[in-house]
Amino acid sequence: MITITINGKEIRLEKPVTILEAAEMHGIMIPHFCYHPLLEKWGGCRMCLVEVEKMPKLQTSCTLYVTDGMAVRTESDEISKARKAMLEFVLINHPLDCPFCDKAGECTLQDMTIKYGADGGRFEEGKRKHPENIDDPLIVRNMERCISCTRCVRMCDGVQGASAISMVNRSNRTFVEPFSGGRYNCEYCGNCLTVCPVGAIMSRLHRHAYRPWQVEEEIKTVCSYCGVGCSMILQTRENNIIRVTPKSEIGVNKGILCAKGYFGYGYIQSGKRLTSPLIKRNFKLEPSSWEEALTLVASRLIEIKKKSGGESIGGIASARCTNEENYLFQKLLRAGLGSNNIDSIVRIGFGTAQRYMEDVLGQGATANLISGIPTSEGIIIIGGDPTHINPVLGVQIRDAFRRGAKVFTIGYTPGLERFRTQNISPYSFTETTLLGNILSELLSVINLRGENESFESKIKGFEGTSIEDIEGICRVNRIEFKKMIKDLSDVSSASLVIGPDIIQRSEVRTNLFLLTAIAYILNARVYLLAERPNEQGVIDMGCLPDSLPGGRPLDVESFRRRDEELWGCEIPSKTGLTVLEMVEAANSGSLKGLYIMGENPVFNLPDGSFIKESLKKTEFIVVQDIFMTETAEIADVVLPSLGWAEKEGTYTNLERRIQILRKAIDRQGMEDWRIISEIGERLGLKMPYGSSRDILNEISKVSPLHAGLTYDEIDKGFDLWPYKGTPLRHKLGAGDWPLTNALDSPDNNTLYLFIERHMFLSGTMSRHSTALNSIYQSTGSYGTPYAKISPDVAGRIGLKDGESVTIKTEREQIVLPVKIEKGMPDYAVLLSNNFREKGAMSLLPFKIDPVTKTPAVERCEIKILKREQE
Amino acid sequence: MFSESVIKELEEVRVKYPDSRSALLPALYIAQSEYGWLSPEAMQAVSSALNIPPAIVKGVSTFYAMFKHKPMGRHLIQLCTNISCMILGAETLLDLLKKRYGIEEGGTTSDERFSLIIMECIGGCDVAPVMLVDNDYYGNLNEEIIVEILEKYK
Repeated sequence: MITITINGKEIRLEKPVTILEAAEMHGIMIPHFCYHPLLEKWGGCRMCLVEVEKMPKLQTSCTLYVTDGMAVRTESDEISKARKAMLEFVLINHPLDCPFCDKAGECTLQDMTIKYGADGGRFEEGKRKHPENIDDPLIVRNMERCISCTRCVRMCDGVQGASAISMVNRSNRTFVEPFSGGRYNCEYCGNCLTVCPVGAIMSRLHRHAYRPWQVEEEIKTVCSYCGVGCSMILQTRENNIIRVTPKSEIGVNKGILCAKGYFGYGYIQSGKRLTSPLIKRNFKLEPSSWEEALTLVASRLIEIKKKSGGESIGGIASARCTNEENYLFQKLLRAGLGSNNIDSIVRIGFGTAQRYMEDVLGQGATANLISGIPTSEGIIIIGGDPTHINPVLGVQIRDAFRRGAKVFTIGYTPGLERFRTQNISPYSFTETTLLGNILSELLSVINLRGENESFESKIKGFEGTSIEDIEGICRVNRIEFKKMIKDLSDVSSASLVIGPDIIQRSEVRTNLFLLTAIAYILNARVYLLAERPNEQGVIDMGCLPDSLPGGRPLDVESFRRRDEELWGCEIPSKTGLTVLEMVEAANSGSLKGLYIMGENPVFNLPDGSFIKESLKKTEFIVVQDIFMTETAEIADVVLPSLGWAEKEGTYTNLERRIQILRKAIDRQGMEDWRIISEIGERLGLKMPYGSSRDILNEISKVSPLHAGLTYDEIDKGFDLWPYKGTPLRHKLGAGDWPLTNALDSPDNNTLYLFIERHMFLSGTMSRHSTALNSIYQSTGSYGTPYAKISPDVAGRIGLKDGESVTIKTEREQIVLPVKIEKGMPDYAVLLSNNFREKGAMSLLPFKIDPVTKTPAVERCEIKILKREQE
Repeated sequence: MFSESVIKELEEVRVKYPDSRSALLPALYIAQSEYGWLSPEAMQAVSSALNIPPAIVKGVSTFYAMFKHKPMGRHLIQLCTNISCMILGAETLLDLLKKRYGIEEGGTTSDERFSLIIMECIGGCDVAPVMLVDNDYYGNLNEEIIVEILEKYK
């Protein structure tokens, strides 16, 4: 215990912190510019000077740690004089252009100057001049205002790890600059904007649009982009979101955001939003009234049910909708239409891995806190770049590396290039062989714990490929491989980060078995990367053909009976169709009606033209969305719904934390849940919900996992799995699905199409964000979108950066510019899945895995043709 | 953009330090001696050779006056005009350089033969006035000697 006195007040501290932190903990504010709780301590601005007894000079309280018996004074005439003098120095060059600076009103420098009054400077020379830089599409730099506190640089280099800006030049010509001097070409996380205490680095999105005191409301909510679920504050004025900021005290993100979160909110106010229900008449979607559209949907669904039975109707749920909406959606399908054909795109990645691992490793196996990553000693990353798919999680991995963790990346992970101990890049499609070898090598040095004997016997029975294959098949240096195994076997706390690319393979079952086995042997925390905000929620709400809310299996009669009683209806016992089976059933004609909520299967499932043709064969499709998507275009009825920030609800993030989404702006229209209840009522169900709270209230009765959960309880901190409920008790599974052998590795010089999970893009939402599109383009003079290739491939074909090419798959072709990127594997062409008619996913042909029903979207051979060759 | 020998030199300094950021200053010297100045391309090349983000390279290199960020002549004259040198006639030498070679302080001759930088004390007060031409040190200068010396640099 350390006892100190600050301004005569006795303070007891458990562990040594700085004087400034100790003071803030006890409500004593010490002025500062350069200190920020997230950043490395620096002691540069000299504003936090305090008197410490027995120390001859004033001390910087942000760098001096408390010691027992210390007596500190934070305000005195001498201190005030020193602070005033510091301010006078700062103001020598600061332009004092507060009347037209956006920061005025929330500017630390302004507040300090008013408090310590260094208004009249004694400096007669002129102020430095440096024109405001607006070369960047999103960030404007006004270096005349900069006070050189270096917060932005320490944020960029020390926290985000992008290292895109630094202090350039010296003395009073010191300015913050990106390498180019103009455009940032960085990760655009916006975190430098968050920490700037003055108006030196600011967002262009709300430039000169309002003053801080004109913010009408500040709403705490959750980001709508990925599965991390960052907390953020939406500042609104006149029913518009004008700015998004993080807050260091709240949420999983603790004060940082990524490009999508910080700059991507604009889609919600896009002029392309659907405004009125549409009904297809004479092959054209035409506006209609709500009443007409809802009645039509209900009557057509009833008609199909009567004619062909409930199993001829399917529903595709959405990981972009809230838990309440997904719950209601499956209830509508099960109770209202008598169908278990409920699934979502979550299946083709996150969902399949999550359910398999939970079965083998135990309930909650994937519910690990993101804050656990920085404290891991060893981290394995496979199947995607976390800094692109879940950027804020990726930052935690960078942090772990800085703290000394061993980080091993398998495959192409450019965002972790400077943050890894080793990168093992197996040749294309040989990850299964690599994983098999990791397993058998680990098995020879680590003893099994005996927790799940049946799974252990399966591990022992696995015939790992021989170590020769590491060089022969994977083309990985054997010594490097052995080094990784040695390091891994030494760590006492490991994390395993798994991305979607390793799941969307024909070896999906073997891959998942091997990953689960590796996690089991290393006792590793598993993190499944999730591209959408509510992937776990979709699973927990029972939007699965074989599972009821709360993860209760459909084929257990007692669970079914329980829900039947609560819902007052009968639930069919037959397992329904998965998402791709629904497409196939549509193609064969057995699926007649399809209800799609907040999803764009034509774009987000592989082989878009096949999906589109199949869905067109159904008798009736209703799509509920906020934009006119590729899928909505082929629908019979399109219902516009309200989006994120326009409704209340909950999301369950990838660590299974349940978080509240709050309404920030009013918009005419209906939330997804309200549309479903309107249709439900017309189908004869009782859906008397006044708000999403009423639905959560029902969920808490139906789902044992969510028992007793309310918004207030979530706010009180019951947001972590298993909340206040009971997870399913079950015997640990043996992971008993038949394994597939690793396929042969392909030849040299064959190019394959891969999906680029882009840091700035995320499909139909980001497509409508001008800000995100502008930074995607700003990284080069390319058109939108571009495909990425390695310099080697470019050399082979004779392509220049930015050159337009034709990319040909077996059946399709598109014209795009190429971007040449160093470090890319020489067999890959990367294309994002974001832009209309040019999405990677829909170009990829697929095979369904018979057990997991996930598509293998690999080995899509493509050719790149120079334009004049055509 | 670097020749193979430079890349080898860079690699040699890189492995001397546990953290490649520590090798940045020597690496920048190597790059500068190759081109005479640090162009954005040269900084970019140092950045990729050491795997240090380019912005960090720029931040460090612009901090030090010894690193040049605009094209320099083939030879760099660094003339001291601090007190000792000034008393002993450095300013006359400066005028001579300006007149004879048509060069300004901080400038470069039109034939790109010389660049001139005025230095604050280069530690040769005992033999003032002094100058550096590239890495060669010359003291006890006068109008004849300086011309004689500079004529050796083509």
